[in-house]
Amino acid sequence: MASAPLRPADRASLLQVPRQWPAYLVALVAIALLPYVLSTPYWRGILVVCAMNVMLALSLNLILGYTGQLNLGQSGFFAIGAYVTTVLVKSYSWNFWAAALIAVICAGLVGLLLAAFAVRLRGHYLGIASLGFAVIAYQILLNWESVTEGVRGIYGIMPPSPIRIPGLPEITFSNPVALFWLVGGIAFVVYVVVANLLRSPVGETLRAIREDEVSAASLGINPARWKAFAFGIGSAIAGLAGCFYPGFVGTLVPDAFGIVESFTMMAMVIVGGMGTMIGPVIGAIVLTCLPELLRDFGELRLMVYGLALTLVVLFMPGGMVQAGQMLRARFSRASSGASR
Amino acid sequence: MSLLVAKNLRKSFGGVKAVQDISLEVEPDSIFALIGPNGAGKSTTLNLLSGTYQPNSGSLSFNGQIITGLPAHQRVRMGIARTFQKIRLFKQLSLLDNVLAGFHIHHQIPFWQYLVPGSAFWHDWKRCREEGLELLEFVGLADLASQRAGSLAYGQQRLLEIARALATRPRLFMLDEPAAGLNGSEVQFLLQRLKDIRARGITVVVVEHNMDLVMNVADHVFVMDHGEYLFRGSPREVQDDPKVIAAYLGGELS
Amino acid sequence: MSDTLSLILQQSINGVYLGCLYVMVALGLTLIYGVMNQINFAHADFVTVGAFTAFFVVTRFATKVLGLPDTVAYLMSIVLALASGALMGLLINATVFGPLRERGDELRPLIATIGVSVLLENGQLALFGPIPYQFDSPFGKETIRIGKIFFTQQSVLVVVCAALAIGALYWFMKFTTTGKALRAVSQDRETAGLMGINQGFLIGLTIVIASALAGAAGALIGPVLVLTPFAGASVVVKAFAIVIIGGFGNMEGTILAGILVGIIEAFTVQYLGSGVIDLVVFVLLLLMLVVKPTGLIAERREENV
Repeated sequence: MASAPLRPADRASLLQVPRQWPAYLVALVAIALLPYVLSTPYWRGILVVCAMNVMLALSLNLILGYTGQLNLGQSGFFAIGAYVTTVLVKSYSWNFWAAALIAVICAGLVGLLLAAFAVRLRGHYLGIASLGFAVIAYQILLNWESVTEGVRGIYGIMPPSPIRIPGLPEITFSNPVALFWLVGGIAFVVYVVVANLLRSPVGETLRAIREDEVSAASLGINPARWKAFAFGIGSAIAGLAGCFYPGFVGTLVPDAFGIVESFTMMAMVIVGGMGTMIGPVIGAIVLTCLPELLRDFGELRLMVYGLALTLVVLFMPGGMVQAGQMLRARFSRASSGASR
Repeated sequence: MSLLVAKNLRKSFGGVKAVQDISLEVEPDSIFALIGPNGAGKSTTLNLLSGTYQPNSGSLSFNGQIITGLPAHQRVRMGIARTFQKIRLFKQLSLLDNVLAGFHIHHQIPFWQYLVPGSAFWHDWKRCREEGLELLEFVGLADLASQRAGSLAYGQQRLLEIARALATRPRLFMLDEPAAGLNGSEVQFLLQRLKDIRARGITVVVVEHNMDLVMNVADHVFVMDHGEYLFRGSPREVQDDPKVIAAYLGGELS
Repeated sequence: MSDTLSLILQQSINGVYLGCLYVMVALGLTLIYGVMNQINFAHADFVTVGAFTAFFVVTRFATKVLGLPDTVAYLMSIVLALASGALMGLLINATVFGPLRERGDELRPLIATIGVSVLLENGQLALFGPIPYQFDSPFGKETIRIGKIFFTQQSVLVVVCAALAIGALYWFMKFTTTGKALRAVSQDRETAGLMGINQGFLIGLTIVIASALAGAAGALIGPVLVLTPFAGASVVVKAFAIVIIGGFGNMEGTILAGILVGIIEAFTVQYLGSGVIDLVVFVLLLLMLVVKPTGLIAERREENV
């Protein structure tokens, strides 16, 4: 029954440390150059939205793609990031960066709390609780008018305050290029850190929980604790993305934070490729840019998302990443066939 | 001193009494077989020992420490590992990734290195992968290390489960019907592996239906029927006992 | 009868009426979960589909085309809404639950139903537009008065329909062979399959029944609902809350929880206004999860390892 022992070459490749520097360098260069390639103010704005969506998709992917927990509440955490930052800056004259830090911590804590409730139970409780959370968050935004101004919205929001490092000229973020470099840069850092985290034993643990909680427990993994952990980190990152949203748009209304937003994030993660690192990035970029290229669709946009989501889940669950892999495989078969 | 001691375990599901008043002791460095006809309550008992189920009453101690009420994942830290009757592999992950998951409780990396890897991280990374490959070699699956676990044949999946559980470096290793669905040569291979595991200083508890396996490998046999204790002794004694024979003939032939 | 007492009684009756509506929606959800451990996120949208069906039957088809009187038209709309719900159930079973059944994956069908939900909502948006539709039940026009308590024939109709549905379901589950087979499947799928029970057919049947209930509920709830393509969203949180409070897969618990939530809603709207109702239900849900997570009646079911 024993199969052949491992060949030394195979063994060596399994023990090889993965190197990502080349890809990261390319990404950094892309972030630096994109605002000059796409130089209209309109497209530069799209770039900022792309960067935020990339962060949101990565945060949801951590919870949904890697830990396998259904989460419909990301819009709520995005909202916490946006509103806490804005209210602290506008009503209490806080420094933007301090406010953003608090907002991220708030979002993470709320995420942890929510997860702590629902996560000890089996089944779909967490998914439903997250849905309830998204609905309630939206209602709070609408009704707590003394703080959030409700439907009227908050106006005149400034972009992130300038950073003054002694010895260097002041770094302002009032122009779209600098703002994109800021948000894009942060998205890049988030990507690298999350990628490291998921490549570490933590990633192995989360994937084990996704695949089979009971046998994960039989390996010493505490499913409740790790699901809550993933939820907390995911919600904090969503909050981080939210901090930059109001400054970019200039106004803040509750309508930007409904279930539709949660759903759009889910579509990005799944259509891009759930459970991979690059999938959500691709999905975020595609689903942000495509509607802009097809402006006429308007109302049909969501219907297309819904259809895309259903079809992907049914027929190509690995999303665009899986499609890419299949194409590459067929390509290499074709070319190796041709060379014969 | 016995490694694992169970006293008067009881477990009911709704009105059904699955396990009634089971007491047993497992001696270190032995292979302990838990047998009985279908529906005897063997798997339930194993689930009680591993912490997957909690007993309605009774007590459990391991290495002198009370573990009744301790959840399954905490028992692993104490040195108890198990496999499942219904194979529960991480199907989407590779064989090596399955085994690596088993090292969960053994990592010693400073927290910040999970975010920005340093030398301790890479050292642990390499060591786990080497040990993981050794475990795969132990069960004869090393050349399939990067394949998806879901693509394995049934017998191979069972072996992978064993390799993965061994990654937790247990003191006590419990297997739930590991021979189910295996053909003759696969069973022989499994038997040899169990003996090797015992030789490594790991105590083994096997729930098994297959009499051959039990007779060949077990040091001590505990027989259950209808949730209750029936008989215990050496394999020879169990084979000859009339009550055991009656239970098996009355229930199902092995 | 004192004023406060009659007020309490009034709200209780309103609550029971609302509760019956919610029970019809929630029962479907809990049935589906009981038999295949899955949640259909599009379930609430089936209610909307039923409501729209009822609208068109009542306002166009039955009255203008067939020239039937209002009352018959409305009753007919309930039947047709039920049929439309059943049709949706059939479709979603054929496209989503059926093909994904063998995989044993819990997450993918769930996400697929979310996709279907969005598709339905936005599809209906494209068809019907965002402006609320309004139709009245002919049974809601006159009020019946007993002492200081008011209710309409509509409330009676709703309670009767709900009672009929529940009664039929009970009879089906407890006394017919198919029903018993269904209960077997919900308790232990593997063994039921080994005993030759055709799971695929039964699960499909359950989904059809559940969706039919949702459709019919749509017709009954239509007159009081703000009928837009997103009407389902307002019902879905409450429906899930009821299923959780009552216990997933537990019929009796769901019925109890549904009536409870209906009564709570009636009292909350009376004293706190309608804006907070979702919040109250959600808080109740969280409390439930903390105190007794398996629901009001359900027993702790350990997963079969």
